[in-house]
Amino acid sequence: MTRSQPLLTLSRRYLTTAAPRTTTTTPIRTTTSLLTTKPTTTSLRTIQHQPCLRTTTPSIRPYHSIHHPSPPHEYSNSQTTILSSALRHVPTHGFTRDALTLGARDAGFLDVSVQLLPRGEFDLILFWLASRRGLLRSKVENDALLQSQSQQGPLSVDDKIKILIMERLRMNVEVKDKLQDALAIMSLGENIPLSLSELHALSDDILTLAGDASVDASWYSKRMAVAAVYASSEFVMTRDTSAGLRDTEEFLTRRWADARAVKDKVSGVKQCLGFLGSTAVGLGRSWGLKL
Amino acid sequence: MKALSLLRRAPLAPSLRPTPPAVLDFLAPSTLQTCRQYNSTATRQSAANPSVSQQTSGSSKPKYVLNQQQREFLDRALRVNQAGELAATLIYTAQTPQVVRSHPHLRPLMKHMYDQEAGHFDTFNHLIAKHRVRPTAMYPVWEVAATFLGWSTGMMGREAAMACTEAVETEIGSHYNDQVREVLSWKAEAESRGEELDEELEDMLVTFRRIRDEELEHLDHAVENDAKEARPYDPLVNVIRYGCKAAIKISERV
Repeated sequence: MTRSQPLLTLSRRYLTTAAPRTTTTTPIRTTTSLLTTKPTTTSLRTIQHQPCLRTTTPSIRPYHSIHHPSPPHEYSNSQTTILSSALRHVPTHGFTRDALTLGARDAGFLDVSVQLLPRGEFDLILFWLASRRGLLRSKVENDALLQSQSQQGPLSVDDKIKILIMERLRMNVEVKDKLQDALAIMSLGENIPLSLSELHALSDDILTLAGDASVDASWYSKRMAVAAVYASSEFVMTRDTSAGLRDTEEFLTRRWADARAVKDKVSGVKQCLGFLGSTAVGLGRSWGLKL
Repeated sequence: MKALSLLRRAPLAPSLRPTPPAVLDFLAPSTLQTCRQYNSTATRQSAANPSVSQQTSGSSKPKYVLNQQQREFLDRALRVNQAGELAATLIYTAQTPQVVRSHPHLRPLMKHMYDQEAGHFDTFNHLIAKHRVRPTAMYPVWEVAATFLGWSTGMMGREAAMACTEAVETEIGSHYNDQVREVLSWKAEAESRGEELDEELEDMLVTFRRIRDEELEHLDHAVENDAKEARPYDPLVNVIRYGCKAAIKISERV
């Protein structure tokens, strides 16, 4: 394991998720699993009064303000406990129900308490993504990730975006082999909306942390560019065997340069059209037309 | 009447305040405490961390906490206002050459109105970036539409240009008025609970009021400059007003 489990040091403030809690429950695991639980677990505690499985709508949080901090997250206490301890089993067991069950056991819950997570493996994946996103934010805000790398003058927004994407990809190293399964689960039809909203939340966070303050249509194009570059780099990363993700970093640099090239082309064409238009209007006015 | 409205609001009041998630306070690191300072009541706040409440504001009143609907309202309001000011600057930019060409004495007025609109546009750009509000997806469409509106009314003459200003500012002014009224109702509710709005909201209230007054001042200028003489007055003004209303509705959503 390249990184010691950083989740426990992660402030809950950074653990936000766009995931809704749904009221659908998966079939309860058979009672035999209840009987086979280790007798040492301090089980039967607190599961019965969990107000979990609430129904909320998925939403990207509107109107950020320092005076109105966002509520930490929507997971209930036991859900967080199970999911956090399940993350320790992800490098060995992947994003599977087994990891969830083992996590529940570690936290002292019964095996059946996995049903607190109605979406099963996908809940584990969403928790992974949301907590890594929160970790990225806390690294920038608490550990000065972007300052520490700027010996040669202040970094440009582009450089910051690249550093942030790379940092986020490095967090995936320990689960690299399991990531393809996760991507497969995320691309199932019913999971696509939540996966995309999580991807949007990530690119939104990256751009905000990098200090991008676009307030026009480029708001959309930048987020799409970051999301596309991140997603494609993640695919490359799952097959990357080079030391320190060097291949992925090069791939990311090339893709980002491509995105810049497209952007420059588009803005060049726009500028050209604008010049042509204003020339035509000026010419008309000089001929005495009332334009 | 006031008692009635208070009575109606009473059962809602507890739900307006998001209940602090009672999860794992003993596990939560200290950062959570500071970020939740406005969620707690006055007594608990001063008991828990008196230093924080002192350094954040001079007064000891607890802050009013916005609920989800109010956040969404602000989100929509800022998005619409930015789109509106974008359109206003583009309309004036497109109108000015034609109007000034035939009526040079209007140059200072057009410049004055344009400068004010550009200032408003800057204000809302700043607010949108600060509060991480999504700008409208129709941005390029509004750019083209506003330029066309300004250019075509400018072509029709000074009166039509002024009628356009009149129609647009009427809509925009009443729109700002609604926003001011909404924020004032929050303020009244906060005061009835012994709370106060945070500085950002107070600033926003002042800004909205100032901008509304300036927009209505443009309306007066337009009427002084024969906006009512435009031919055909009613169809022109109605088309522009309904167009504005539709644009506001669309910008709220997308």
